[in-house]
Amino acid sequence: MTTPNRVLSRRVPLIGHATGQPRDGGRNGTIRWSSLKARQTRTGIALIAPAFAMVAIFVLFPLGFAVYISLTNWPLIGSYHFIGAQNYTELIHDPQFIHSVLFTLLYTAIVTGPIFIVGYAMAVLVRSGRFGSVFFRTAFFLPFIVGLATESFMALLELQPDSGAADFLLAKLHLASIHTAWTVSYGLSLTAICVFVTWFASGLTMMLLMAGMQGIPAELYEAANVDGATWWQKEIRITIPLLRRNIALALIISVIGSFLAFNQFYILTEGGPGTSTQPVVMWIYEEAFVQYHLGYATAGAITLVVVTGIISAVQFYLLRDERDQKKAVRR
Amino acid sequence: MKLQRRQALVVAAATTLLAATAAGCGSSSPSSSTPATSSTFGVNATGTVQFWARTVSKTLAQKLVSEFNATHKNLQVKLTLTSINDDTTSLATSIRAGDPPDVVGLNDIDMPSFTSNGSFMNLTQYINKLPYKADLSPGHLGLGTYNGQEYGVPYWADLSVLWYNKTLFSQAGLNPNDPPTTYAQILSDAQAINKLGHGINGFTFAGDCEGCLGFTVQPGIWADGSYLTNGPIATQTANITGNTALTQALTLYREMWTQHLVPDNVRTDDGTTWGEDFAAGKIGIMPGGYGQVVDLVKPSQLGTEFMDSPLPGTNGGYSTFDGGDDFAIPAAAKNPSGAWEFIQWVLETQQQEQYPGLGATPVRTDVLTPAFSAAHPEDAVALKALAKGYAPVTMVYNQMFNEAGGPWFQMFTTAVYDGNMTLALQQGQSGLARLIQQNAPS
Repeated sequence: MTTPNRVLSRRVPLIGHATGQPRDGGRNGTIRWSSLKARQTRTGIALIAPAFAMVAIFVLFPLGFAVYISLTNWPLIGSYHFIGAQNYTELIHDPQFIHSVLFTLLYTAIVTGPIFIVGYAMAVLVRSGRFGSVFFRTAFFLPFIVGLATESFMALLELQPDSGAADFLLAKLHLASIHTAWTVSYGLSLTAICVFVTWFASGLTMMLLMAGMQGIPAELYEAANVDGATWWQKEIRITIPLLRRNIALALIISVIGSFLAFNQFYILTEGGPGTSTQPVVMWIYEEAFVQYHLGYATAGAITLVVVTGIISAVQFYLLRDERDQKKAVRR
Repeated sequence: MKLQRRQALVVAAATTLLAATAAGCGSSSPSSSTPATSSTFGVNATGTVQFWARTVSKTLAQKLVSEFNATHKNLQVKLTLTSINDDTTSLATSIRAGDPPDVVGLNDIDMPSFTSNGSFMNLTQYINKLPYKADLSPGHLGLGTYNGQEYGVPYWADLSVLWYNKTLFSQAGLNPNDPPTTYAQILSDAQAINKLGHGINGFTFAGDCEGCLGFTVQPGIWADGSYLTNGPIATQTANITGNTALTQALTLYREMWTQHLVPDNVRTDDGTTWGEDFAAGKIGIMPGGYGQVVDLVKPSQLGTEFMDSPLPGTNGGYSTFDGGDDFAIPAAAKNPSGAWEFIQWVLETQQQEQYPGLGATPVRTDVLTPAFSAAHPEDAVALKALAKGYAPVTMVYNQMFNEAGGPWFQMFTTAVYDGNMTLALQQGQSGLARLIQQNAPS
């Protein structure tokens, strides 16, 4: 079996000086291979340059500038001065920022599980291709398509006491009073928002998992059926292990989305009562565009980026599958 | 591949360094305004005037601009409407970029944030030359004043008044032409109307709308001669604890809530549906905006079914919240002369008299003639109150009064819904003092 170098040395004409060790085919073969490599490298760079330029302009540059802003007392209006890490020092002593971080973590912890479980159940329901699965697939994914902001405004009306559909239905089921004011108490508003977001986001989880489920070979399930495996055993032993990457993706997207929660809290509670339901992104918004403390708010934003990145990296590590582990060992 | 990775890292590092260098080239504070001294300033100007107005004044702005352009062939105004939550951010960004509009219609309570750092042109000498300066809204002028210099002039007024339902007054045995003028009368009239039952309530307010409450509750405090802040911006202090007028105002709302003189859903009304129950004829008395109710009801109902009166204090007197917008000319405006000519035209009597039909109140009290009162009796009530109007001149108005987590709403919630007045005043005092200290001008 010939090596690629030997194959190429017979076909590529001499175009430059030799570099590196002589190979079978002589000095001319090495010259041809090095020139081809250089041309391939230049071609590769040229092809990725536009994408890299976009990333540099729209991601790296703004990120770098944001880091600089976070090291100043940049106001919305007026002059600013470089103050080093003072903003970061103040952050860790700011009770409202700490509260926002803890509230965001609590909210993330509450909604992540239900979003995954409901999404998985939806995926199981619609993956089979049986009658009605297309309809249900569309119906489950529709909330995600319509958008969180629009649905938050709708929820704001439906959560009103005396007139909203939520109290009407729950009162009929004897589960709540018709006068329940969902958006003005901490516990009720958090409950309502968690249920609402679970309904909104589980459709995306469904789509991510369903795509993976449909890629699992049917023969595995047939073999399991021959062995007398139950539905639950097939899910645990076949589906979930082979869905590891899809599950990881769904969970990471869900956690990042929860960390960046803003719309639903801004529209439904405005962070109230007081600031009890104020997530981190809303804290950043308030500091930047209400308090006009852009530098301080940017420090909070950079902190959020770093924390989100760390947590995502941890999730990637914990949820890596056997193929990724083997690749790491080979390296 | 190693070569590519190094190249990518070098590019990234260079990009970041470039960003830091560009940003570190210096602060971009707006240049302090140097007043033009030409006697022709604002007279026969030419060119284009870029005018930014808030969307909430859309009807008024579009009408004024259209009429001005039709009558000034050599000077044209180009109108841009800014969204309700973005106006200050948009303006600040344009000033920092060195490309501001020539004239802006800015929410008057936002004026102090700009006047204190030289963002606006000093208009003192031009305002002093206006023959009707003494008749201009004092509240609007005050908000545009900093260190004795004037940087803004009134544009339009959005005033708070006490609306009442004359039909319900008659049904409850009250005189429909004798609106309440004290807190005690408001309470007793609301009690009488509430007894009508059948879904009728004596009073209403937007109980989850912090800005709405600031707009309607504070005038009663000012009518008593008290204010929630003391002193100019540079040395401002909070005046909450021990403020008797404030305590009386909060007590009135507490009574309304505990006696069920208001609909149950006021607790969750964030302003979205504020006033709709009043416009539907279900409410006896509602503090609100003049333009707010005018937009909700039919013209034929004004004066017959619905009427307004000035917002009273504890034992009489009255005041109003001088809301609305100020005109200001950014220091870096390209056509300040054209901007001032446009402003003077808007302030002429002929234009001011059009305001009621466009949902606004004029900003000149000398417009209040018998003819004006006969044509616009409801707006005449508001305009009469303008002379005693006020709006807090502070750097922290939005943070204090327009935020769900701000000290004002926290204080209102604790006092009115929880019934703990002592704690409420402590929260208000400490919260406002902290905001003032954090946002003191440097």
